[in-house]
Amino acid sequence: MQQRFEEVLAPNLYYDRNFDMDAVKILPGEYYVSTRELLMVTVLGSCVGACIRDRISGIGGINHFMLPDDKRDEDSRFGRSMRYGDYAMEILINQLLKLGARRAHLEAKVFGGGNVLPGFKNHVVGERNARFVMDYLATEGVPVVAKDLLGNHPRKVYFFPATGRVLVKKLRSLHNDTIIERELSYSETLRQSRVEGDVELFS
Amino acid sequence: MAKTILTVDDSPSIRQMVSFTLKGAGYSVTEAVDGQDGLDKARAGNFNLIFTDQNMPRLDGLSLIKQLRGLPQYRSVPILMLTTESSDTMKSQGRAAGATGWLVKPFDPQKLLEVVRKVIG
Repeated sequence: MQQRFEEVLAPNLYYDRNFDMDAVKILPGEYYVSTRELLMVTVLGSCVGACIRDRISGIGGINHFMLPDDKRDEDSRFGRSMRYGDYAMEILINQLLKLGARRAHLEAKVFGGGNVLPGFKNHVVGERNARFVMDYLATEGVPVVAKDLLGNHPRKVYFFPATGRVLVKKLRSLHNDTIIERELSYSETLRQSRVEGDVELFS
Repeated sequence: MAKTILTVDDSPSIRQMVSFTLKGAGYSVTEAVDGQDGLDKARAGNFNLIFTDQNMPRLDGLSLIKQLRGLPQYRSVPILMLTTESSDTMKSQGRAAGATGWLVKPFDPQKLLEVVRKVIG
């Protein structure tokens, strides 16, 4: 039986000496939410990351995901890929609401969706992820107050949820293939995983 | 006459997806935008089945189920949780509150319909 893939709370907390504050590093398939002053950092290739915060309380969070590539449903709005994307976004929003954020006060900044994975077919991966996140937020009525999507370079994103400030660094030269390898590994895990939740009827 | 289903979720994307799936199978679907809206619509109607999310503004899913189970017309109507929550603790709380079953998102439309057919035919 296929293993189920779940988005997880990022476990990589550290102290960032450049910004002189606590920080958390978010890898593909992870998200993080916080009520306190905390720097959230992620590096996006063809994946997308949504920085969402309550503009009144400053409660904020970030995710880092891509849609599973499933040729069976292509880009059907209710197909497997889109349902997974909905889930990746909803789990972040739910965690924010649990911390006390108000849905009506949410705003988003979105990044990523670059054309960075090798291979002819992969040029649409980032574009598909970028289109999804914009469509999702429009449907949910969450305003997108800033975005930096598509293009040919990975991005390092620094999100300060308490203020909503985001710094984006375009990585025009890469010292190694870590970003691409991580995304390919995440993509392969998604492809091989069951992206449907369990069903249980109580007797 | 088509069986009636109330789907309660604060996410428009999920409401659209659940409605699309259920309407396609011939059910009549009413949407509610949060737990309180769900309670109001449930009181005003007489649904054969209710789907509810857990984390919602105003009234969460477990509180909604407890309130519905206190209403004579919903004492034995199937109520299914459809949520991103997957912990055993939450499932136990759902069961104690009176949920009929627990479906973890993302959902498979075919499995959703199988469950619906199992509980209301």
